[in-house]
Amino acid sequence: MPADRAALQRPPPGRLPPGPTCQVDFSRPLEFTFLGRPLTGFAGDTVASAMYAAGVRVFGRSLKYHRPRGLYSIDGESSTTFMAIDGVPNECAETTQLTAGMSVHAQNVRGNPRTDRFSVINPFDWLMPAGFYYHLFHRPYRLWPLFQNGLRRMAGTGVLDPRGEFASGIRAERYLNADIAVVGGGPAGMSAALAAAESGLRVCLFERRPRLGGHLAWRVREYEGEPLHRRGDALAARLQAAENVKVFTSSPVTGVWGENLVTGFTVGDDGDPFRECHWECRAETVVVAAGCMDRPLVFNHNDRPGVMQAGAAWRLARTYGVRPGEAAVFSVGDDLSLEAAVDLADLGIAVQAVADARGEGRQDPALVAAIEDRGIPFLPGWAASRAIGGRRLKGCELRPVTGAGTSHFPCDLLVANAGMQSRIGVLATAGAKLAYCTHTHSYQAAELPPGVFAAGSMTSLRDPRTIEAAGRAEGYRAAASCTGRSARRARHPAPEAGQAAASGQDTGSDPAQPAIQPTDPVDALESSERELASLPGPPPGCDIRHGPAIGRGAKAFVDLDEDGTWKNVKESAAQGFDVPELAKRFGGFGLGPGQYRVTGQNLAMIMADLRGDPPEAATPTTVRPPLVAPSLATLAGPGHDVHKRTPLHHEQTARGAIFRRAGPWQRARQFSADPTCRDEILNVRNNVGILDSSPLGKFRIHGPDALNALQRVYISDMSTARPGRCKYSAMCNDMGQLMDDGVVVKEGEDDYYFTTSSGRAGTTVEWFRFHTRHDGWDYNLVNLTDVLGSLNIAGPNARRVLARVTTDDISNDAFPYMACRRITVGDGVEARCLRLGFVGELSYELHAPASYSRYLWDLVTEAGADLGIAPFGLEAQYCLRAEKGHVIIGAESEQRVTLTDIGMGWMWDRDDTASKKVGAPALRACERQSGRMKLVGFRVAEGQGPPGDAPPLSDGAVVIAAGEIVGYVCTTRRSDTLGWQYGMALVREEDAVKGGTIQLQQEEKPGKRATFSATVTSPHFHDPKGTRLRA
Amino acid sequence: MTFRLTCPVCGKRDVYEFTFGGQERGARPPQEGLTAEEHFRWTQFRMIPGGTDAEPQEEWWYHGQGCGVWFRTTRDAATNREVEDGGDAG
Repeated sequence: MPADRAALQRPPPGRLPPGPTCQVDFSRPLEFTFLGRPLTGFAGDTVASAMYAAGVRVFGRSLKYHRPRGLYSIDGESSTTFMAIDGVPNECAETTQLTAGMSVHAQNVRGNPRTDRFSVINPFDWLMPAGFYYHLFHRPYRLWPLFQNGLRRMAGTGVLDPRGEFASGIRAERYLNADIAVVGGGPAGMSAALAAAESGLRVCLFERRPRLGGHLAWRVREYEGEPLHRRGDALAARLQAAENVKVFTSSPVTGVWGENLVTGFTVGDDGDPFRECHWECRAETVVVAAGCMDRPLVFNHNDRPGVMQAGAAWRLARTYGVRPGEAAVFSVGDDLSLEAAVDLADLGIAVQAVADARGEGRQDPALVAAIEDRGIPFLPGWAASRAIGGRRLKGCELRPVTGAGTSHFPCDLLVANAGMQSRIGVLATAGAKLAYCTHTHSYQAAELPPGVFAAGSMTSLRDPRTIEAAGRAEGYRAAASCTGRSARRARHPAPEAGQAAASGQDTGSDPAQPAIQPTDPVDALESSERELASLPGPPPGCDIRHGPAIGRGAKAFVDLDEDGTWKNVKESAAQGFDVPELAKRFGGFGLGPGQYRVTGQNLAMIMADLRGDPPEAATPTTVRPPLVAPSLATLAGPGHDVHKRTPLHHEQTARGAIFRRAGPWQRARQFSADPTCRDEILNVRNNVGILDSSPLGKFRIHGPDALNALQRVYISDMSTARPGRCKYSAMCNDMGQLMDDGVVVKEGEDDYYFTTSSGRAGTTVEWFRFHTRHDGWDYNLVNLTDVLGSLNIAGPNARRVLARVTTDDISNDAFPYMACRRITVGDGVEARCLRLGFVGELSYELHAPASYSRYLWDLVTEAGADLGIAPFGLEAQYCLRAEKGHVIIGAESEQRVTLTDIGMGWMWDRDDTASKKVGAPALRACERQSGRMKLVGFRVAEGQGPPGDAPPLSDGAVVIAAGEIVGYVCTTRRSDTLGWQYGMALVREEDAVKGGTIQLQQEEKPGKRATFSATVTSPHFHDPKGTRLRA
Repeated sequence: MTFRLTCPVCGKRDVYEFTFGGQERGARPPQEGLTAEEHFRWTQFRMIPGGTDAEPQEEWWYHGQGCGVWFRTTRDAATNREVEDGGDAG
C-alpha cells in the first residue's frame, strides 16, 4: 500500500492524481511513438489522451489554411485529431484506444505539425473565399490538372501506404434481433433498458464508449447524498445483471434505418475474437438516449490549440487523469460546464475566470456560489472574443455579449462553449423532424418516427433524477408499443427474482434484490409519467450565436474539418447560398465528421442570424450516415468465399484441375497449365473426354398443369415432348430475349424431367412460378440440381467406353441421337442417360444420384483408360461448343437481341397463342424490324493482324464498317480442329451477309489499334450437318 | 431498403430475403390479336397509383431466401410500409 500511496502523491508527468472516475491505470505503461518520437501512455488511455498528457498540443494542420490544430473535443466530434495510426490514415485519436507499440503520425502536414511548411498559406485566405474552387482554377481548362494536383497535395487528409496492411485482424458481422434497442448507455439509456426489461422483452443497449455511465461516469459532485459516479455505477451493475438485456460497449451506432434497423459496429478489445464487428439490430422499438455535447462557441481564433470544449477538458482530467492545463479560463453557457470549472479548480488547475454567456441569474446559484467561494471571478453575460497565441495558447480576451468592455487573461487552456446541444445524429437518421426550441435554444427532435423514442439529456433535461425518470418512462413506452409483447412474454416469462439475482452475483449487486422486477409496462408508464411531471424540466439554454466582436481581422471557425469560417458563411449568404443546405454545398460547411456535431446547429443558427431571421427559420443540414465511420474493411466484412463444390471436386483436384468460380460453383476450368486447353479439346474431337457437368440445372415438374406451365415458359410446342426423347427448347423473357435453353423429357403422365443451363438453376423455380402466378395452376416443381450429379462422356469413342460399363443396348439404333434412356451402370446404378451433343461429338450425359458420382467417375475413367480418356474442363467445353456454333446465354446473346436474332427462331411455335408463351408477342413484333443485330460466324483471313508476339484477336473486339462500330466479337478462338481462327459476332443486320467481309478492331496497346479482316460465315463451323452427333 | 415484408408462409422478414416482382398488372393478356403496343404497355408501363400523391400499390414479391412463394402485398412506396399484414400467396 505505501507504494500505491506514493504513486497517488506523485502522478506521472502531465497527469493528475488518479481520482475515483479515472479509467487509466498508471501501473501499466504503454510505449508508443508520435512522429517517431517515443512517448509513454497508460492502459485505458486513448491515443489523444496519451499524446496530450505527453505534452503534445499541435496534433495536425487544418485542411485549407494549414493552421495548427489541437485537441478540441474528446469523442471524435471533429477531424482535428485524425491521425495516421500504424499506417492507417484518418484514425480518430480521440476514440482509438492506445495499445503498446503504436506508431502515430500527423496528417496534412509537411514535416512536423508544429512547423508545417504549408502554414505559409494562412495569410492568403483572401484567395480562398467560400466556394473558391467553384470560381477559380477553371480557365484555361488545360491547366486544371496542374491545379488539381497542387490542391490535392496541399489539402486532403491522410495518405495510404500502398504496402501497408489496412485490414489486419478479423472483421466480423452480427445480425441481432431485439424487441427494444437502446442507443446510449448513460443514465437515461440504462434506465430505459432496465424499465423495458421489466416486461420480459429482449433489450439490446449500445454504448459507443468503452464504459457505461454517460456523464455520470466522470462527475464527482454530491447528489442526494452520494457522488454522481456511484449512481452511474449502480445503474450499470443492475443492467449487467439483467438477463434479457444485452449490453454492447465500444459500439457506436452508425444509423437507424427503415423499420428500426439499428446499425453500428463494435471495436474489439483483448477479450474479443474480432478487431471490429459490424452489426445490424432489427428492433421493434428504439429508445435513443444519445446525450448532449458542447455547442461550439464561434469566436476569433477559436481553433487555437488550447481552446477546448468543456466536455473535453473535464473528461481529460476525470476519465484519463490528464492535466488539461495549468491556467484555465472558462467561457461557457450552461450549468454542466460551470460544474466542470469548479471540479477542475478543485483538481488544482488555476481557473482565472469563468464567463457565462447567459445573463445573470440564469445559473444554478449553488454553482455560482462554489465558483465565487474559490475566489474565481465570475462574469455572467460575458464570452470569449479572441484566443491569443499560435501553436500554444497564451491568453484570451473576454467581452460582454452586449455592450462594451474588454478583459484579458493569461491562460494555456480556454474552455469554450455556447451551452449544450443535443446529439441529434441518431434521431435524425431515424427520420426525426428537427425544430428549434426557444426555451433550451437547441435544435431538437420535434416529431419522432413510429416506434422511436427519445430520452435523457438529449431532450435538454439536466437533473440526474429527472433524466433517469425520463429514461424509465421511455423504456416503458417502448415496451408498451411492442406488438409482439404478449407472445414473447408467454414464451420468455420475465425473470423470477431468484434467477435474476443468481446471474447478478459477479456484479456486486445485492443478491436479495432482484435485478429486474417484472412489471406491466402500461401500468408502469402511467406511474413514471406522474413521477416525471413532479420533477424539474429542462432549464433555459444559451442563445448566443457567436462570440462578441467576431470577424475583426481574425478567423472564427464554424467548421473545423473544412476550415469554414464565420466570414465564409457570410460570403456564402451574400452570394445567395443563404440556407444551411445550400451553404453546405457551396462552402463545404458540415461535410466532415463534425457534420451534426461541431457544425450543424451553429451553421443553422448563424445563417438565420445573417438573414435576420430567428433560428426557428432554419434547420441544420441533413445528417448523413455513418454517424461514426467504421473502417472499410469492417464494412467489407469477413469476405468468406462461400461456394458450392460438385460431388467430383476431389477427383478433379487429383487430376490436376485448375478451378474457377462459375456462379455459386467452383468448377474445373482446365486440367493442364495450357490456358488454350488444346490437348483437352483435341482429345474430345478425336478420342473421348469426360466432363463433370454436375452444376447443370436438373428439374422435375409434375401435376395436372405441368404441361401448361411448360407451354407458358418454353417457346416451342412442349406437347410434342415424348418419353425416351429429349426435346430441345428455350425460354425467353417478355422481350423475346433468350433466357435459358435445355432439354425436356416426358417421363410419365403429367410428369416431365428437364434441364436448364447451370447459371439458371437457381432461378428456374422463381421463373416458372412468376410467369404462372395468376393462373392458379396445380403443378409441383422440384429442383434436382444438387441431388443429381452429371457426367458427360464425349467424343467419337464415347460409345465404346459406355458399352464397357453397362449391359444395356446402347447401339446407335437402340439409343439414337437425342434419346433419353434409363440405363444400369456398373454394379447396378440406375442413371438417366441423355444422348446429346453440346460439344459437337457423340456424347452421353449420365444423371445419377450425387452420392454415386465418384463411383461413376472412377468406373468410366478406368473403363476408358486404355483408350486414353481424359477429363476436360469448362474452357475446352466452351471452345468445343463454339466450333459447333452452339450459343451460350450471355456470351452470344444479350439484351438487344431476341431468339430470332441469334438464329434460333425455328424453335418458336408461332401458331400457339392459347398458351400465352412468354416472349411470343415480342418475337412477333421484332421479327420484321430493321436495324437489328444478328449473330454471325466469321473466319479470320490468314496472315492478318499484328505481327510477332502481339495478342491474337480476342473476345470483345469491335466490328467496324465505314469508321463506325457496328457490332462486336462475342467469342473467338484459334481452332486446331478447323486450322484457322473462327468466331461469333453480333453485327448490324446489313453487315451480317454470309460471304461478306467485315473488319474487326481491337486495342493492341493504349492508343494503338490492330485491324483484322474476316469473312462472314454460318456460326456452325464444325460438322454443320451433325453427322458426327448421329454416328 | 431495410424494410420488412410479411410472407404469407413465414411471417415478417427482412426485405433482403425477397425478390421484387413488380407492380400487380393483372393477368397476362390474351395473345390472340394482341398488338405490339398493348403487349409492351402491359410489360413495361407502370402507373404510380395516386400520381404525385403516391398511394399504396399492390405488388408481387418472391420469398427466394425463404419458402419460395410468390405473394401479393400492398405497400406504401413513400414509407415502405405494408398497408396490412399478411400477403396473398400466388
